[in-house]
Amino acid sequence: MNRMAEPKFPASVVTATRVVGARERVRSRRRVMALARPYLYILPTFFFLFIFTHYPILKTFYLSLFKWNLATPKREFVGLNNYLQAGSTPLFWQVLQNNVLYAVGTIPISIALALGLALLINQKIRGLAIYRAALFYPTIIPMAAAAMIWLWILTPSYGLVNFYGKALGLPDIHWLGHSRFALWALVLVGVWKRLGHYMVIFLAGLQVIPEHLYEAAILEGASPWQRFWRITFPLLSPTTFFVAIMAVIDSFQVIDQVYLMTQGGPGNNTNLFIFYIYQNAFRFFDMGYASAVSGILFLILLGLTVLAFGILQRRVHYA
Amino acid sequence: MHSRPLWRLTVHVLLFLAALVVVVPFVWIVLTAFKERNEVFSLIPQWLPAHPTLKNFWGVLDAMPFWRYYWNTLVVAFGILGVQLVTITLAAYAFARMEFWGRDLLFILLLVQLMIAPQSTVIQNYLTLTSLGLLDTRLAIMAPYLASAFGTFLLRQTFKGIPKELEEAASLDGCGGLRFLVYVAIPLAVPGYLAFALVSLTYHWNEFFWPLVITETSKARTLTLGLGIFAQTAEGSADWTMLMAATLMVVAVPLLLFLVFQRRFINSFMQSGLGG
Repeated sequence: MNRMAEPKFPASVVTATRVVGARERVRSRRRVMALARPYLYILPTFFFLFIFTHYPILKTFYLSLFKWNLATPKREFVGLNNYLQAGSTPLFWQVLQNNVLYAVGTIPISIALALGLALLINQKIRGLAIYRAALFYPTIIPMAAAAMIWLWILTPSYGLVNFYGKALGLPDIHWLGHSRFALWALVLVGVWKRLGHYMVIFLAGLQVIPEHLYEAAILEGASPWQRFWRITFPLLSPTTFFVAIMAVIDSFQVIDQVYLMTQGGPGNNTNLFIFYIYQNAFRFFDMGYASAVSGILFLILLGLTVLAFGILQRRVHYA
Repeated sequence: MHSRPLWRLTVHVLLFLAALVVVVPFVWIVLTAFKERNEVFSLIPQWLPAHPTLKNFWGVLDAMPFWRYYWNTLVVAFGILGVQLVTITLAAYAFARMEFWGRDLLFILLLVQLMIAPQSTVIQNYLTLTSLGLLDTRLAIMAPYLASAFGTFLLRQTFKGIPKELEEAASLDGCGGLRFLVYVAIPLAVPGYLAFALVSLTYHWNEFFWPLVITETSKARTLTLGLGIFAQTAEGSADWTMLMAATLMVVAVPLLLFLVFQRRFINSFMQSGLGG
């Protein structure tokens, strides 16, 4: 029997293999590290994102399938009942209508004013910085402070608006307590607060339009009017569209001014989406129903955003 | 473009009128804050205070825990920013300069945060933080904002712009990986960080609704919330001069900073529009 001798390696070879093995191991550990590194980098972000953004979205839809309120403290599965309840509640439709009115009231005015002011500010004139600061400062103060300012200015009898209104022959009006005017008073405050922000976004859009287009147009004898409608407006359309979408989304997020100025009144005339959710969740403790309304709001805003991106990519001109 | 003097004059007049309409409400508030309590109840408004007084400001300090609110606001706004700077730097760097499986999908999952209204997740976040025992704490006010899709997006653009050759050269000099991030990428992105910091600080200094939901006492409450609650007390709602003094005290510091660093603020908010 020819027994194969156990292969015997000289000590040096053994050491060498060990070294190679160790190197191999270090290299593969490095390779694992290289693979894992990006995930480690994004881990902190996704940790918070998951707990406070993704999970709440999913959980909101889940909770919206339950009856869960003071009368039913133990959650009870009811399917789509909360959504059906929203659909058959006149107040839900009124809130939706209020919100649409708020958006419709805000958007054309904001866009026209912000664009107009951006065009004026874009001229090379003296005192530019002062005008810009004066128009922009409401963006950086809290909406809560803006609400206080306008509560005082719109107050009946002693408010500034009523004083000068009376001088013009208007009656003394309790703007925020009047079912016809309260929502428009909120729109006014919203426009005042956000105008400057929209203006500087238009300004950013204006500044990337190449100067030579205007020079060529002037050589061709185009009037300022023609230059605006043939060059500025079309090249600005992505910005305009963007501001419009932002204004719609902002409108559906309005809450501070409702809470501080009207509490949704008078007679729910200024009850907007987020306030309605707040009332149901934290005043009536109807978490199931409030979750369903949150879910509906979520879908509306998601739909608008997706629509915005879709149209933005397909239709609008880009310089 | 236009050089005719008449056009120039028109531009000035229009801008002046617009600026006047936007500024007058604030001027009125400042003047009111220095008036005596009953002076404002006149049917013909007096613009200038007859006997300028600081009484209203002292009154505010007595009527609400103003300095506690101030401290809470500073802790919340800078605390959020501090954590955000770490999370957005790492995530932006990975999304800008690394190849990995699932990157595009994960990026979309990140952008979800930009697409939804933070208010639509308020109920569930309230339940989560309450079950963690964090109701009525500053940490709870900060928690939902510690990751920022907007910040990550903004920085990613900057990091993407750093040429590949620079990274290779740095790597040959032994300045690869994390060191490249710290010594090369971050210094190059300072303007981006500044823009993000201003938007983040302003947003969280001003926030009202989430602190309203997640706090129950003045222990953790922030300034704007304190102002809102003061306005709804009997004392605050009956006394316009004191309420306006409180409003002025809440906005004074950010507003002064804005006036000094106007350009920086405006540029930051321009980008916030482009990023959002």
